[in-house]
Amino acid sequence: MTDNTLTFPTPDEDEVLGAQIAAMYAATPAAEAGTADRVARTVLANSMHTASRSALGVLRPRWWWGAVAATLLVSVTLRPWRVVSRMVGAGASVNAVSNGAAVAQPTGMVTLLSGGDEVRFDLTLPALAREVAIVGDFNGWDEKATPMLRRNADNSWSARVPLTPGRHVYAFVIDGTRWLVDPLAPQVPDSGFGPSNAVMVESATQ
Amino acid sequence: MTTSGVALIVVLGQLLAGAEMTVGAPNFAHDSTRRALPIDTTYDGRGATGRLPCRIGDCVRQQIHFDAARFDSVTAYALRSLLDSAAERGLPTAPLINRALEGAARKAGGPKILLVVRQYVVALESAREMLGTESSVAELEAGASALRAGIDARMLTAIRASRAVGAAVTPLVVMTDIVARGVPAATARDAVTAIARMPRSDEALLGLQVTVAKNSVRGPGMAVDAIQRYLRGTVPGSNSSSAPATVDRKPIRPPSP
Repeated sequence: MTDNTLTFPTPDEDEVLGAQIAAMYAATPAAEAGTADRVARTVLANSMHTASRSALGVLRPRWWWGAVAATLLVSVTLRPWRVVSRMVGAGASVNAVSNGAAVAQPTGMVTLLSGGDEVRFDLTLPALAREVAIVGDFNGWDEKATPMLRRNADNSWSARVPLTPGRHVYAFVIDGTRWLVDPLAPQVPDSGFGPSNAVMVESATQ
Repeated sequence: MTTSGVALIVVLGQLLAGAEMTVGAPNFAHDSTRRALPIDTTYDGRGATGRLPCRIGDCVRQQIHFDAARFDSVTAYALRSLLDSAAERGLPTAPLINRALEGAARKAGGPKILLVVRQYVVALESAREMLGTESSVAELEAGASALRAGIDARMLTAIRASRAVGAAVTPLVVMTDIVARGVPAATARDAVTAIARMPRSDEALLGLQVTVAKNSVRGPGMAVDAIQRYLRGTVPGSNSSSAPATVDRKPIRPPSP
């Protein structure tokens, strides 16, 4: 039975081994003067992946393919200019919502304030808007009658409207042009004028 | 013949007839200078003959603001005729005026506004026949909207039977909403009437509407499932089916042995 244990050299053997390596290195013939310079230039050029001798290296075909691929990626997939079109008006996202597309939806909330004769309408838009108004049966559908106030910088708008108990039909007008419906509030079938309106119902005496 | 010519003839006709209505004065929505003309914007529910046309309810007699300046003169005159006709038939005119104002706000043309208002007159009359003459104005409006959503007379009658007079607005609005979101009408009727029969159940009905609105985004089947779960948690002794009503979800694979 043999002993396979790997033994480490002793300090005395280290000195002998070092001397042997130094003798072998000294016996190696010296390189030519230009060889080291040539090797250094080649390694440097390959590592930087640039033309080492021509300023027109950037026009090599492999760069063209890279530029074309990047352009296709930006123009087909990313399309950063779509963000700008969304910020023009919230109606674009509203239309997308009505078509079932997976985009951010506006969220609304109707809160009956204490006392029972005033209602607060809250609306959070997925995009920027300059002005938002609420219109309905309670203000004669007048866009100028009940403007909503921006609460914060997060596109949240709010308005307090005195309402009598009953059924009230309302809608939101974004920037004076686009009409918006709260997607989660009760809907009224389209009467023929365009998007459906939302309905707020207060609890009546039963 | 131009629009102004028609308006002039209308005004002359009214003056010769001695009518009190001055809404037909030339007045165009796009002409701001003519808006300064004195215009009678109050409609008191009386017909052109000046008699009280309706004794059903208190809805028709009340003063209703009719901003005629928001319509062109021809449309305003035709609208007033429609309102007179509706009032003579005992229908409330406030919902009709609201629809007309909505059309004006949405920049709809005069013929379109008149068409919508005329259809609404018919819907209100049908709703009154189905819900009863003692129904409130809000109930008639909700019933007219329900009819436009495709809810038939039997379902309106079932909703009427589940609530007292004046208290059926919320059930009607909720049923109209959930049917419009794709829930089958019979399912909606059963769910709404089951909850509406409970005392003080308006909040529960609105909760049902929100539940359906959130789940209908994933398909009508999911909304029906949500209704059944909501009923089991709201209505005591609900015998709604425990099996899912939809197959548009991925089946749950049993664990491998």
